[in-house]
Amino acid sequence: MKRILSVDDSASIRQMVGFTLRNAGYEVAEAVDGRDGLAKAGGSKFDLVITDLNMPNMDGLQLIEALRKQPGYTFVPILMLTTESQAEKKDAGRKAGATGWIVKPFSADQLIAVAKKLIK
Amino acid sequence: MSVAASESIVSTLEKARRELAVLARSSEGEIASLTRGFEDLAGQTNAILSLASSIIASIESEGVRSVLPSVQALGATARRFVEDRLRATTGILDTVNMEVHLLRHLSRVADSQATIALKTRVLTMLTNVEVGRLGAEGAGFEYLATELSKFSNALSEDTEELADQTDTRRTTIEATRRVLAAEIPQLREEFARIDANLGDELAALEEGLTQLSGIPLQFKSCVEEIAEQIASVVAAIQSHDITRQQLEHVQEAFALICGELHTGRSQDGITPEESRAHAGVSIQIYQLQNVRASIERWTSQIRSCMEVILNTSATGLAGISPLVVEQETQATAKLAHIEQLESESRRYSERIRGAVGGHSSLLQLVGEHVEKSKTVRQLLHLLSLNSIIEASRLGEKANAILEIGKGITSLSTEWGEITDQSEQAMQEILKLVDQTGELMQTFSESGHERLREAQEATRSGLDSLRQAAAFTAGQAREIQFATERMQATGKVLGQDGDRLDASYRRVDAVLGEIEAVRRQMEADRPGIMAEYDTAELERLYSISYTTEIEREVLHAALFGLPLPVAAEVSSGNDVELF
Repeated sequence: MKRILSVDDSASIRQMVGFTLRNAGYEVAEAVDGRDGLAKAGGSKFDLVITDLNMPNMDGLQLIEALRKQPGYTFVPILMLTTESQAEKKDAGRKAGATGWIVKPFSADQLIAVAKKLIK
Repeated sequence: MSVAASESIVSTLEKARRELAVLARSSEGEIASLTRGFEDLAGQTNAILSLASSIIASIESEGVRSVLPSVQALGATARRFVEDRLRATTGILDTVNMEVHLLRHLSRVADSQATIALKTRVLTMLTNVEVGRLGAEGAGFEYLATELSKFSNALSEDTEELADQTDTRRTTIEATRRVLAAEIPQLREEFARIDANLGDELAALEEGLTQLSGIPLQFKSCVEEIAEQIASVVAAIQSHDITRQQLEHVQEAFALICGELHTGRSQDGITPEESRAHAGVSIQIYQLQNVRASIERWTSQIRSCMEVILNTSATGLAGISPLVVEQETQATAKLAHIEQLESESRRYSERIRGAVGGHSSLLQLVGEHVEKSKTVRQLLHLLSLNSIIEASRLGEKANAILEIGKGITSLSTEWGEITDQSEQAMQEILKLVDQTGELMQTFSESGHERLREAQEATRSGLDSLRQAAAFTAGQAREIQFATERMQATGKVLGQDGDRLDASYRRVDAVLGEIEAVRRQMEADRPGIMAEYDTAELERLYSISYTTEIEREVLHAALFGLPLPVAAEVSSGNDVELF
């Protein structure tokens, strides 16, 4: 079963990401911020990471940069799931190594379709 | 602004910030509870969908799908069956009427033949007289006299027999006609009633089965509806995260405003800090008004979507099983009724068959009589030739015999004409007998056989439907339990929603307090708004904003535009891949 790591400081967002992707047949692990996400990603291998941008302790951009430095996560797709929609923020995400950008709220169908596309 | 006034405002803002912090914490717990409830509800909906799906699979089986076409075929066969009988009963009455008419004509022919037999007897007597008068010379005519005598006797007997048999047949067929004339209108009414009943029964059965065949589509529509509502709830629950961030940013703004008021305190004119603080309060009022409107929107979206999910599951999906069971019961009852109608039709067919029976005996009578008539004509012809030859040989002495011979010739011609008429009438009767035979075929077993085959085909489909209904009845109980569980979850979700609403109502209190602060600032510092530097205010307050809606609200607050409200998001945003 393919594994996805959902990183968000909002419990309801983590629940909705988990609910959507578990129903689509994925195993979903949750992390409450960037630091927690990095720790969980380091201890296990995930096929897709979905992270919020603004989080306490370590934000989404820092998490992506840290993950990209890890050998196992060089090519793992990472999606940003955030309320931010500004072009400069997206650009920062792309530069940090994000694979895609989703403005909250996400479309369940779209998220599943993209997960299928990115996890081959 | 006086120190006291400034401290009072700062105190109010700090209190509001604490209230919003409490609200954020409590709503976080409530939304988590609501989300868990929603996940339970979605799981229960999935269970019902799975049960309903297995029902759909059972009613989409080959056997059940064959029910409707076989019922339609049965309907067509049954109606043809009854219509054929209606047509045949009318045809039979027509042929019987014509036969009565022809038999009357045949009676008249028989009367004419009786007259010829009488004339032959007279000629026999005259021949005997002439044989006596001619003495030894007339010995050659004795054979003629003897033959004429035998022939006239035979002719009388045959003619009497024909007359008797024709009368007997006519009496029988007239009795049949009377029976049919009395019975057929009644039978036609009965057949018409059967036809109408069949029509109604089959129409009702077809309607029910068509409804049944529409269930998979209804199920698909329910599935789509539920999927749409679930997607809508998923999107609405995420809106909470935007609201949460907005509230956090309002709290941060309150801290910023308090700082401005501390540093910009002055007894004299309006300071830039006071102006920025007033603008900040106005912006936060806008933000809180927007938060309130957004909360109203997404909480009501969650409630209404969950209500639709509950209703669709409780009525749309749970309603499928009783519908299947009901259709099976109705279809079985109606097929039994059609069988009863077929049985009634069979009974009436028997009555018709009994009424027109005996036609075959007429065939024999007609054949024999035509053959006899031909023989009579040949014999008369021979006798007339014989008498004319003998009379010619004797010359004038046998003139009387010659006249007798001519008389026999005349009788032969007359007999020939009558025989032709008789044969024609008999041929007509033969045709009628054939027609009646063909019409009677309608009432034969083969007609019933076709109907029985159609009934068998329907019955086989109904067996599959019965199995599907039995399976459905079992699944229905499971659906009932799942629906009850779902309704219980729905109640819990309603309570979670109420608690969330109560929490968010605290925003109204905070809003009231902040509006009072703004009024106080404007009372203390008339013209405070004239000091606004909108560009600086936008830069200052937009730093922390992470959402598009916050920026829109800020812009509206600074330029006095109507309050923007986030549009309802039914299915969420798309993914942008780099």
